[in-house]
Amino acid sequence: MIFIGADYADLGLSPEELQNRMGKWFAWGNKMEQAGILRGGEALTPQIRRIVGENRTVSDITSAEVKEIVGGYYLVEAKDFDAVQEIAQDFPDYDLGGTVEIREIMVFDR
Amino acid sequence: MEYKDIDHLFRHHSGKMVSVLTRIFGLQHLDIIEDAIQDTFIKASLTWRKEQPEYPEAWLTKAAKNRVLDIFRTLKSQKNNLPYISQGTDAIAINELFLDAEIEDAQLRMIFTACHPKLDSRDRISFALKTVSGFSIKEIAAALLTKEETIKKRLLRARKAIKTEDLQFNIPQGKTLIERLESVMEVLYLIFNEGFHSNSKDQLIREDLCGEAMRLCKLLLKHKQTQLPESYALFALMCFHSARLEAKTTVNNEVLDLKQQDRTLWHFPLIQLGNTMMHKAVETENFSCYHYEAAIAAEHLRAKTFEDTDWSKILRWYNALYTLQPMPSHLLTMAVICIQTKDYKSADAYFKQLQPKDLEQRAYLYYAAKADYFAETNHLIDALLQIDLALKTVTNSLEKDYLLKKRLAWQKL
Repeated sequence: MIFIGADYADLGLSPEELQNRMGKWFAWGNKMEQAGILRGGEALTPQIRRIVGENRTVSDITSAEVKEIVGGYYLVEAKDFDAVQEIAQDFPDYDLGGTVEIREIMVFDR
Repeated sequence: MEYKDIDHLFRHHSGKMVSVLTRIFGLQHLDIIEDAIQDTFIKASLTWRKEQPEYPEAWLTKAAKNRVLDIFRTLKSQKNNLPYISQGTDAIAINELFLDAEIEDAQLRMIFTACHPKLDSRDRISFALKTVSGFSIKEIAAALLTKEETIKKRLLRARKAIKTEDLQFNIPQGKTLIERLESVMEVLYLIFNEGFHSNSKDQLIREDLCGEAMRLCKLLLKHKQTQLPESYALFALMCFHSARLEAKTTVNNEVLDLKQQDRTLWHFPLIQLGNTMMHKAVETENFSCYHYEAAIAAEHLRAKTFEDTDWSKILRWYNALYTLQPMPSHLLTMAVICIQTKDYKSADAYFKQLQPKDLEQRAYLYYAAKADYFAETNHLIDALLQIDLALKTVTNSLEKDYLLKKRLAWQKL
């Protein structure tokens, strides 16, 4: 699951809201862990360095310059897309306009 | 891992850290400081998702300490009134500013700054909620039932006043202390009342504001110079009122007056705490208005049922309060008490000293009381006339419903 949305810093959330949101994330992570499906995951800082094109043009971008940013990801093990979709119901930031993108890790046949 | 949810940890810590950093860098850098602290909380909310540190408060304090260097660097690059901080000895001094007692001291300085008489009285509340209490603009707007734009303006105005008046970040001493403390207590009292009388549908907002006012008042009580009889009285008053906070509204958010409240819902520990505070408060010859207000609130709580209320005592306290603070609303209350005790002659005398316009936007309270007076004295037509005037001027929908119900009952008589 890849999380995409506005950066927390750009949303003007109060300390109280940040704490509440953290609690929800924690509860979600815990739930997945207890179900034994969590394989990893990280939150990402909002600094972006992009290297683009033949000339390898480098640009440093802040979250304020883009509408959406990949904020982090969770790696879970599940039967299929539908199962992950079910897990993603508890993603805490839908109300902030956040998106969960479900992608499958490609497994090559030997 | 278990998640320890410490109530309002971030919010309270934000107020603490902003205060400490302001003590280090000065009020002129408040913007940078607030941004830096906000950033700390964003980082914490992201990294704690997976695992909470064992000592969350210590983690946050350490993070804030680390910000000192960041802010220092930012200021250096701006070449902007850089405070003199050298390595070594000053670093130790800065470390000490993060000790508990010093954090409290810094918060107290921030409270005195926020409540400075040089700030517009409305700006004080917003500024205090922002800097000392860690509320966001949105939260302040919701709590005060005001537009976010208005709050933004108030905060800007407060900051400007701090700069132009060159306010110092300190706890005043001597004679000024008493004056300034009065202003602080007034702001805390107003914050509390905003919560206690809030029209917000959200019970949490009420509890938040009342809780904040009490937390800040407690800070006054912890500090030697500010633990005065009147600050104890103010805290007692807050305890007594808070004890009734839950009983004040129904699940449907209807307002219940003292007569209708379920007295078993009153929170006994808070009443006890209030009593303890009151004992400390009365160690003086000079009673403040908070003393009298607390005495009145205590008298209400003492009565087992509404009918048991000792109105004569309450009236006496109100008279004393009115002498100290001649406000029209006190006259109205005294009139209402006299209606309660069926002393219609005195009630009339109080009404005669009053004009509805004296109460400004709360004129409907005058009409509603007058309506009660006429209903009790069997002048139903006059009562209906007055209650219609009240209905015309009332703005709060909950209170309007309450009046409408009353009118309906009278109509049926």
